[in-house]
Amino acid sequence: MRRYLRIISLLLGLGLLLYWAAPSQSKPAALDAIKKRGYLLWGSDAEGGAPYIFPDPKDPSKLIGFEVDIADLIARELGVTAKQSQNAWDSLVPGLQRGDYDIAMNGIEITPQREQEVLFSMPYYIYTEQLVVRKENTVIQTMDDLKGKKVGTLSGTVAQDILTKLGGVDVRIYPGQVQPYEDLAIGRIDAVLLDLPIAAYYGKPNPKLKYAGTPMGEGFYAIAVRKGDADLRKAINEILAKLLKSGELKKIYEKWDLWNEAQEKLYKNIKDSSGYSGLEESKKAPVYTFFPMLLKGAGLTIFISATAMALAITLGLFLTVVRLYSRAPFSNIATAYIEVYRGTPLLIQLYILYYGLPNIGISLSPFVAAFLGLGMNYAAYEAELYRAGISAIPKGQMEAALSLGMTQRMALQRVVLPQAFRIALPGVTNDFIALFKDSSLVSIIAMVELTKTYTILAASTLRFFELGLVVALLYFAMSYPLSLFARSLEEKLKGKRR
Amino acid sequence: MIAVRDLHKAFGEQQLFRGINLKINKGEVVVCIGPSGSGKSTFLRCINGLEYFGKGEILVDSLELHSIKRVRPDKHDLEAIRRIRLKVGMVFQQFNLFPHMTVLENIIEAPMRVLNVSKEAASEQAISLLRRINLESKVSSYPDQLSGGEQQRVAIARALAMKPEAMLFDEPTSSLDPEMVGEVLAVIKGLVNEGMTTIIATHEMGFAREVADRVVVFDKGEIVEIGTPEEIFANPKAERTKTFLSRVLKI
Ligand SMILES: Nc1ncnc2c1ncn2[C@@H]1O[C@H](COP(=O)(O)OP(=O)(O)OP(=O)(O)O)[C@@H](O)[C@H]1O
Ligand SMILES: [Mg+2]
Repeated sequence: MRRYLRIISLLLGLGLLLYWAAPSQSKPAALDAIKKRGYLLWGSDAEGGAPYIFPDPKDPSKLIGFEVDIADLIARELGVTAKQSQNAWDSLVPGLQRGDYDIAMNGIEITPQREQEVLFSMPYYIYTEQLVVRKENTVIQTMDDLKGKKVGTLSGTVAQDILTKLGGVDVRIYPGQVQPYEDLAIGRIDAVLLDLPIAAYYGKPNPKLKYAGTPMGEGFYAIAVRKGDADLRKAINEILAKLLKSGELKKIYEKWDLWNEAQEKLYKNIKDSSGYSGLEESKKAPVYTFFPMLLKGAGLTIFISATAMALAITLGLFLTVVRLYSRAPFSNIATAYIEVYRGTPLLIQLYILYYGLPNIGISLSPFVAAFLGLGMNYAAYEAELYRAGISAIPKGQMEAALSLGMTQRMALQRVVLPQAFRIALPGVTNDFIALFKDSSLVSIIAMVELTKTYTILAASTLRFFELGLVVALLYFAMSYPLSLFARSLEEKLKGKRR
Repeated sequence: MIAVRDLHKAFGEQQLFRGINLKINKGEVVVCIGPSGSGKSTFLRCINGLEYFGKGEILVDSLELHSIKRVRPDKHDLEAIRRIRLKVGMVFQQFNLFPHMTVLENIIEAPMRVLNVSKEAASEQAISLLRRINLESKVSSYPDQLSGGEQQRVAIARALAMKPEAMLFDEPTSSLDPEMVGEVLAVIKGLVNEGMTTIIATHEMGFAREVADRVVVFDKGEIVEIGTPEEIFANPKAERTKTFLSRVLKI
């Protein structure tokens, strides 16, 4: 057992080493708190992709995009620096409400529903919805032509609302903005309706696709702050107005090829746009440029897995002892814990821990939620392994220890548990391997571990295949030594009883 | 030194003891015999607190163990049982050595943890005990490297390391190959000759006759007869004793 814990602490060190620069998260507050803290935390989803925010193809450890530029300018005006806080796009508003970051800015459209939940700044961009179809298509020209057709869009977007209200359209909801255009290109769907910046970056460059009709359905992107942070909204509005007048904002849109006539309603001057070829570059960058980011993700994966496993091993032991050796209400509680945790999906447990607990006033940091979620779940499985181990120990062992005057606790500690551990050890190691892989689930709660790093990078470069192989290899390199260790333990236990 | 009064014991619905009485004096050697399932093991286990009993009491010197009906005894009861166990050592049919510890570790574990003896003192005592049973060379062996007879002798040494005032042996030779029975009985005999208060449950009639001060015959949870070895073996009074003896001595 002791050797086992030593291996875990070794892994912990390794994980930390790889993840040398873990971004520190702290409680946001209003304007003063940001200034005192020295940086502005802005929530966004780098997996959402270009041109909003995505990893720089030349240096994937850096995030770029027009919203990164805007965030930097706002931070500059506030006298601080901007720090991105990663979260899934669907969860950006809940994350803002639970206080993970000061502002949320990631192509968030002003909708009546969202206005009930957050405060919006003045718009910083006027988006339109752009219909994209295959080159050879001539049938679809306007929205009315979409009836009876398969049309892709993103979940939770205004485009989705438009399509649903239109009626008679077979709406296909995608989680990311890459896949709808890919599916369109290979003919799985007939059209894609999404915000123009997305269409400009993901649809237009594809030689098989083209725009259909003119942009429609104007709407506004705005920066969201918490309901209580009116001072912050006021400051942001002042800054946006200033950037508007100085022309700095427009420069950003021109740089990203996002300037169009619609923006005139916000800005006076129009200039010619210069194209941006980020997507092309990232398609060419050699795969090793992504290694530093992937290794950092792997470090976090190891760190989360090792800490969660340490929790699972100790909490599992506690549960087993309470279940087998304590009085009625406590032993029942332990049994119930084990059954409930084994009988419900880990994903649901993670959601409840991270997004559910804030509803009752408990707000956990992403790491703590990941640690508790994985550790508490696996503790139930470890408890079952220990119980099997203990029931394999002859009753005479406990009786002999008791007859020597040992207390039950002493007998457990010195005689029964050490033997039970030896029996449980191969199973525990197998669970460790399983936990390693399950740790990819914590990517849903704003932890940028290996899997999340992969999906972010792949979404912006479209290199799902190459990067996928590299990531799979990394996971394998981490879990294979563990299974070797498990096998050698089993061999050893087969030979000897001690 | 040990007194059992009106002991009642049931396993679920099945009543085994309906009021057993027995007094064992200091230095006395009592051998329990009787058919399989007659309650010899259960009797010894009650004295050592490994079985709870429904009614009656067990006294060891000034320590008293009263009827414990509860499935889970409270702290006070547990402490009483533990104090009795410190005075009365027990050796089991299945040896029950700790397989993950060496012979030495098996012997010094309880003195160190329970009596707070230093490791040096405990090891010294363990080695002198092992010398007495001729197993000095096995100090750092593990139980599965020993023969059954050797394991049982180590188990006896382990119990003796706690310096008990009395010893309980529950069929100490029943799991052994015949050629190993002698070496274990010799160790017990040595102990008895030193004046250890002893209760033995056994099927070795020859041995019973040799070491016993008194023989107690069990049958179906009752004591059917108590007497000196001569009285019991040469001149049994109870009918059930005669039936039992005629059956075992024939084989
Ligand atoms: N844990 C238990 N649960 C239920 N019944 C039990 C239990 N232990 C013993 N018994 C019953 O109590 C009776 C006495 O058993 P015990 O082991 O004391 O007999 P014994 O005289 O030692 O027999 P043997 O010579 O075979 O060892 C038996 O009928 C047995 O079935
Ligand atoms: Mg028996």
